[in-house]
Amino acid sequence: MTPILTTVFALLIITVVAGVLLGYAANKFRITANPLIDQINTLLPQTQCAQCGYPGCKPYAEAISTGTAINLCPPGGQDTVIQLANLLDLEPAPLAADEAKAQPKIARIREDECIGCTFCIQACPVDAIVGAAQQMHSVIVSECTGCELCEAPCPVDCIDFIEADPEPVPALPEKSLSEQACIRCGLCVDACPVALLPQQLYWFAQGNAYDKALQYRLMDCIECGLCHAVCPSHIPLVQYYKMAKLAIREQDDKQQKAQAVKQRFDYREQRLASEKARQEQRRQARAELAQTSTKQDDLIQAALQRAKAKHPGSS
Amino acid sequence: MSAIILLLISAILVNNFILVQFLGLCPFMGSSNKVETAIGMSAATTFVLTLAAMVSYIVYQYLLVPLDITWLRTISFIVIIAVLVNFTELLLHKTAPLLHKVLGIFLPLITTNCAVLGVALLNINAGNSFIEAAFYGFGAAIGFSLVLVLFAALREKLSLADVPAPFQGASIAMITAALMSLAFMGFVGLV
Repeated sequence: MTPILTTVFALLIITVVAGVLLGYAANKFRITANPLIDQINTLLPQTQCAQCGYPGCKPYAEAISTGTAINLCPPGGQDTVIQLANLLDLEPAPLAADEAKAQPKIARIREDECIGCTFCIQACPVDAIVGAAQQMHSVIVSECTGCELCEAPCPVDCIDFIEADPEPVPALPEKSLSEQACIRCGLCVDACPVALLPQQLYWFAQGNAYDKALQYRLMDCIECGLCHAVCPSHIPLVQYYKMAKLAIREQDDKQQKAQAVKQRFDYREQRLASEKARQEQRRQARAELAQTSTKQDDLIQAALQRAKAKHPGSS
Repeated sequence: MSAIILLLISAILVNNFILVQFLGLCPFMGSSNKVETAIGMSAATTFVLTLAAMVSYIVYQYLLVPLDITWLRTISFIVIIAVLVNFTELLLHKTAPLLHKVLGIFLPLITTNCAVLGVALLNINAGNSFIEAAFYGFGAAIGFSLVLVLFAALREKLSLADVPAPFQGASIAMITAALMSLAFMGFVGLV
């Protein structure tokens, strides 16, 4: 055999075996459902507002899992972008929306102008509008996500979007003149009465690494101020902890609210589905009824025919 | 037995692939931002490296040597490595989708991780037996994982520290890597 043939033969063997193996593996490990989508979905605010260009939070989560930009969600704001970036190990990009949209808003109906058409009630993805036909409608403020989906259907344009009460933004304490850089002396560790690591917590609080701060039990800090007292660099450590705690609580609140909104959205979907099923059932019942009634008509006709045959004289 | 242990220690510490032989630097810098990611990358690379060392030994000894085409080894090893990486990717996509997404391009890039090809070729140059080849590959992978995870842990700390502006990002990472490399030089003479 010439060397060329030997080479081709050897490579052929290797590649064929490899191809068979990979084909088998591709079949065996076929992807059916992607649990990553659920993980992304829990981070989204669940306003179902479609401002990202997808018809809801779940479809957007699906799109993200295949590589769509993570900064398209105005209701989630920059926090959501950062959380998604952390989950997917991406660089957090600035939110792709103008500032006006990033402000949280809620809908308000000018009630004396409302004509009671119920269009906005049908449009609301979280059932946050109450009212009945020919009656005034009203927005449940605590449930409104400010998605603006009710604005378009309103025939008399009586829905305004007002800014929700701005939440207090935790601000870093002003650097006092005496505050110096941390020299990592560890005095704060000795001083802490609840055996935490104040120096680590300081770095985590400063770098907004709240997961890590929680892991190092930031919430156990009793804010006694001893670490600040012993710090040779005069760092107001407790101020940093307070700020971080506030931010963590706010994050939790937001997540809880998102969960509640998601539940309302799910309930609405369920309700719509069951309504549709009921309608279908009723339609079928009617169709059956119509069929049986035609059957009865047929029976009557047949009886008349027989009667006619028996008594041909009478009509 | 002692020869195997010696081989392992030499591959893990003394001739560490990243810090002493400077192989596999791409994932070392690329997927060391988070410890979780680094652990995932280490596991994937360990799997590929050990298997690649074993399979390439078999292919070399029982296919290339009998046919007298040993000069074909680089190409055939690359094919073997590519197949193993592809297999790992399929496996990961099924079992750990988040990790698959996070590792992203670095997962297929294990194919071009020179540590993997390096182990396969070094095994042949050293004339290792099958068992030795397997343990050499495994040791190299453990050394790779050790350094990658340690480096990722350091970088996690660094990301929160007050690094001076000119040193932020890649430069402080390079300096850290250099210091780690210096530290690993201390293992020379252990074996």
